[in-house]
Amino acid sequence: MEHHHPTPLTLESSGWAPSWPWSGSGEKGPGTLRICRTILQVEILDAKTREKLCFLDKVEPHATIAEIKNLFTKTHPQWYPARQSLRLDPKGKSLKDEDVLQKLPVGTTATFYFRDLGAQISWVTVFLTEYAGPLFIYLLFYFRVPFIYGHKYDFTSSRHTVVHLACICHSFHYVKRLLETLFVHRFSHGTMPLRNIFKNCTYYWGFAAWMAYYINHPLYTPPTYGAQQVKLALAIFVICQLGNFSIHMALRDLRPAGSKTRKIPYPTKNPFTWLFLLVSCPNYTYEVGSWIGFAIMTQCVPVALFSLVGFTQMTIWAKGKHRSYLKEFRDYPPLRMPIIPFLL
Amino acid sequence: MSRVFLIWAVTHSVKEVQSEDSVLLFVIAWTITEIIRYSFYTFSLLNHLPYLIKWARYTLFIVLYPMGVSGELLTIYAALPFVRQAGLYSISLPNKYNFSFDYYAFLILIMISYIPIFPQLYFHMIHQRRKVLSHTEEHKKFE
Repeated sequence: MEHHHPTPLTLESSGWAPSWPWSGSGEKGPGTLRICRTILQVEILDAKTREKLCFLDKVEPHATIAEIKNLFTKTHPQWYPARQSLRLDPKGKSLKDEDVLQKLPVGTTATFYFRDLGAQISWVTVFLTEYAGPLFIYLLFYFRVPFIYGHKYDFTSSRHTVVHLACICHSFHYVKRLLETLFVHRFSHGTMPLRNIFKNCTYYWGFAAWMAYYINHPLYTPPTYGAQQVKLALAIFVICQLGNFSIHMALRDLRPAGSKTRKIPYPTKNPFTWLFLLVSCPNYTYEVGSWIGFAIMTQCVPVALFSLVGFTQMTIWAKGKHRSYLKEFRDYPPLRMPIIPFLL
Repeated sequence: MSRVFLIWAVTHSVKEVQSEDSVLLFVIAWTITEIIRYSFYTFSLLNHLPYLIKWARYTLFIVLYPMGVSGELLTIYAALPFVRQAGLYSISLPNKYNFSFDYYAFLILIMISYIPIFPQLYFHMIHQRRKVLSHTEEHKKFE
């Protein structure tokens, strides 16, 4: 949302002095119009210490925050643009890269406060790392690589069909995620704090290892209701995977390449997207559904726990997303819930 | 949190451990600590905190905290053989939920976690002590 810049009380205070034909400068003949362009100055202060870090003069008024950040990096190369947070108020919200200088409520000298966001890493890198791990780790357990189970089981294969099926499903899921990261998703933010990669990888890799250990264990017990249970669970899993993918494609089509526009998502011809009628984040709904399917298929408590933790996190994200939608769009469909139709 | 765990999940659960000296050690350490700590809170709320209480809270921990931790660790250690023997709170494969939990291994992990956690908390209290008690000294100088 743009700030509306109030018109200055006097032309002098805005630093804008038009040269009208009748202004009395004499030399210009009637009918000529000369407009002076404003050049703004920018100072950047540390948000905590108020120390003056940088002074930029001769800044174009139509410069964006992104361009200011690039200029700031020249004087302080350790603070690359992704880790800069510039704001109008030391305790205020960060300004967006697209914000234009002259549209902000600043005078001829703009004062920005700087906060270091810490080392940053790209979202794509984090996603690829956190998804490649589970793919690889699960296979280590599936193939019963030495030192996991007793030596007599090294490189043996399970005699249960469901174990092979589970490996296919789990691997498919993470391959899908990797491909979506590379070819489908359009990220709003380029980067996230570096420490997130350690946190996220521990979560994904840890749970993958824990689940894979039991499913591929020589003493694994197949589901109580046998093939019926596995078939039903597989159906749930496949439907939810297709659903999740459909939603990712629909969201991608909402936003042109390289832009950060936000629009209300609506159902398309694809029946899987009709869930948009009832929830704001059907991608999360389908994701939970996939894992519930996988849990029923493998009848394994660690999988159920992983689904539960994932559900909790996705609910938090869905509620946040739902709140932003409601704030940004007056005409947001009232029937929609964040993640579970009618309930949550 | 560690108090609740020590009381219910260790001392109460493993009856054989209840007559150990280590239990006496942590009970005494916790009791003295709590009496001082809650007096500190009470007097602070009444805006009449005797220096002695403040001093006690920020000084006695130097002895009481290691005492308590030793009592806790020794108690958990004493409980280990009984946990192993009885298979307490443990579930092993195969079972229809494809889940296992080894309480014995869990207790060992808990003991190991004291290694990073204890120094952090201890040095935090030492740092607090320096801040709080030197602040009082300054106040006293100006009286």
